[in-house]
Amino acid sequence: MSSSSKRGMLGLALVIPSFLILLVVVIIPILYAVKESLIDQHGTGYGLANYIRLFTEPAMRKNMIYTINVTLVSTALTLVISYALAIYLRFGKGFVVKWIGRLYFVPMFVPGVIATYAIITMYGNHGWAARLLLPLGIETIPRIIYDYKGLVLANLWFNIPFATMLLSSALASIPNAVVESARDAGASTLQLFGRFILPLSYKTMWVAVTFIFMGIMGSFTAPFLIGANSPQVLGVAMQQVFSSYQETHTASAMAVFMFLLCSFMGYFYIRTMVKDAEAS
Amino acid sequence: MFGKKKMGLILAGVLSLSLLAGCGNGGNAATATGEAKDTKAGAATGTTEISLYTGGSLNVKELWETLIKDFEAKNDHVKVKLVYLPAGTGGASTLDRLIAAKKSGQTDTDIDLYEGSLDDITKGVGEKLWETVDTTKVPNLANVDETYLKQVNNQAIPYRASSVVLAYNSAKVATPPKTADELYTWIRQHPGKFAYNDPSTGGSGSSFVNTVIYNFLPPEAMNSDDPANMKKWDQGFSLLKELGPSMYQKGVYPKKNQGTLDILASGEVDMVPAWSDMALEQLAKGLLPDTVKLTQIDPAFTGGPSYLMVPSLSSKKEATQEFLNYVLTPEAQTVVINKMYGYPGIKWSLMPSELQEKFNSVSSGYRSFNSGELQQEIYKRWQSEVAGG
Repeated sequence: MSSSSKRGMLGLALVIPSFLILLVVVIIPILYAVKESLIDQHGTGYGLANYIRLFTEPAMRKNMIYTINVTLVSTALTLVISYALAIYLRFGKGFVVKWIGRLYFVPMFVPGVIATYAIITMYGNHGWAARLLLPLGIETIPRIIYDYKGLVLANLWFNIPFATMLLSSALASIPNAVVESARDAGASTLQLFGRFILPLSYKTMWVAVTFIFMGIMGSFTAPFLIGANSPQVLGVAMQQVFSSYQETHTASAMAVFMFLLCSFMGYFYIRTMVKDAEAS
Repeated sequence: MFGKKKMGLILAGVLSLSLLAGCGNGGNAATATGEAKDTKAGAATGTTEISLYTGGSLNVKELWETLIKDFEAKNDHVKVKLVYLPAGTGGASTLDRLIAAKKSGQTDTDIDLYEGSLDDITKGVGEKLWETVDTTKVPNLANVDETYLKQVNNQAIPYRASSVVLAYNSAKVATPPKTADELYTWIRQHPGKFAYNDPSTGGSGSSFVNTVIYNFLPPEAMNSDDPANMKKWDQGFSLLKELGPSMYQKGVYPKKNQGTLDILASGEVDMVPAWSDMALEQLAKGLLPDTVKLTQIDPAFTGGPSYLMVPSLSSKKEATQEFLNYVLTPEAQTVVINKMYGYPGIKWSLMPSELQEKFNSVSSGYRSFNSGELQQEIYKRWQSEVAGG
């Protein structure tokens, strides 16, 4: 055996365990879900009945549009806010910056259920926010809990710290010299961001967007507890279809649909990464 | 060289195998004698160990721990081993194990007593899984209301129960509704002050929905899974839709049984349907303000017992019957009430009078509801017509 083929074998042997794990925990379940989703709910025959139901039933269609809406809006808002926060933390100076830098990731250590209940007690009809505003003569606050607004709020709470952390690390690697020389050459703040900061942290931004998007798309706890009864996000609707109606095949079809949405996002992510690799 | 090495390996292998075998024999012999001793000791004192499989919430576990301790203090020849499987983890698999054992022709199983729901009984009946219980074996069965035993053909013992009742804030509601119609009128007159939870997430909300629908149907329909009944649901659903805008926040249905109790506690609503045991427990622990009172309306909300079943494969039925007999005594039932805030499995009239008084507001009973797979159809229709309407 030549030494190069020996090394090749070793390489393969090292890859096999991770490939097997991927096969067992990702690939097989996905294929199984696809197969399940094609089985008709009532008979044993194969067909597209579950998918047809998914796209024709008005309630289900409303759920899907609602989910995509919530996900896109939350992702966009998270990205804008975390970018601003990360830039502030990177270039700002002083006491406030130091403390924000220490505290912003605290929400990541709060479990989802607890955070959700905190949102309920804070923004509920008779919650803290309402009580604090009462002395100012404001008697009714807009409905936040059991509404679209509450859901977006919860998504921001869960995702901003993570996105800020990712972006901060990317911004930290931008040398001060770049920023200073650009400033000296007369670049405005907007130009500085568009020409230097964004291109230098572009890759990390895509990582953040991908993770935020997938996380929100598949979220369950917060939408279950503070979401509206109808329309529901797909995660909650899927749980209902699966365990309350016991229609496992329809639930599988929903899972496959969600997976397709996420892989669409994944495609952009991988494309950016590949382009980047080619460029370097 | 190589040949010698191989020989050596083989020799070593043979040696170690024989050694292992020797050890194995020795071990077996030791356990065999050990077992023999155990049985002898068991026979001398007459101790039989039975195992009780139970699921549910933590309070169920605590209840059984107390009952078993009391029972064993009075009985030296029956020991009860508690196998607790928390809700949602293994309850179903216990039943699957029993069915599998029966199907594969086993004659013995280590599950001597199983706590379960009406659903579990029905699943086992086809397989002849459950032993029939009667007063010749368990004398205290005479304490149990016969109608509840007949419902399950004497295949299980309804040892405790709870039902859905109306929980209301007495500081805001002076005279609570007494009938279902009065309740609907009250909801219309007090918009935003009533809430029931999303029926697919908890029993109190689904009881409200079921009773609204089935109050328009003949009583026997409540325990029938005839799909023909689905056509008679329209009146109930249109009432639910009509009540929607008068509900909490013009039609918000919180999730889970706890969801409505939370907004009752915070004063956002004045009246909710709630499980009697849950509400009573939270009243006792101060989680609900003491202005909250409970009442039952007429016709009543639905409710139901928890059952104990004796698997027919169990080989220790006599010991099990002794334990069952204890569970159905008034003293054991007092523990049930104090620990679980549930209804006793035996007749109220046999219970201590101070307990009868304490539970007066909710002890007027309940109706059982079991429509099999139709329940899922109700959830589906509710989701699309009432929540999404």
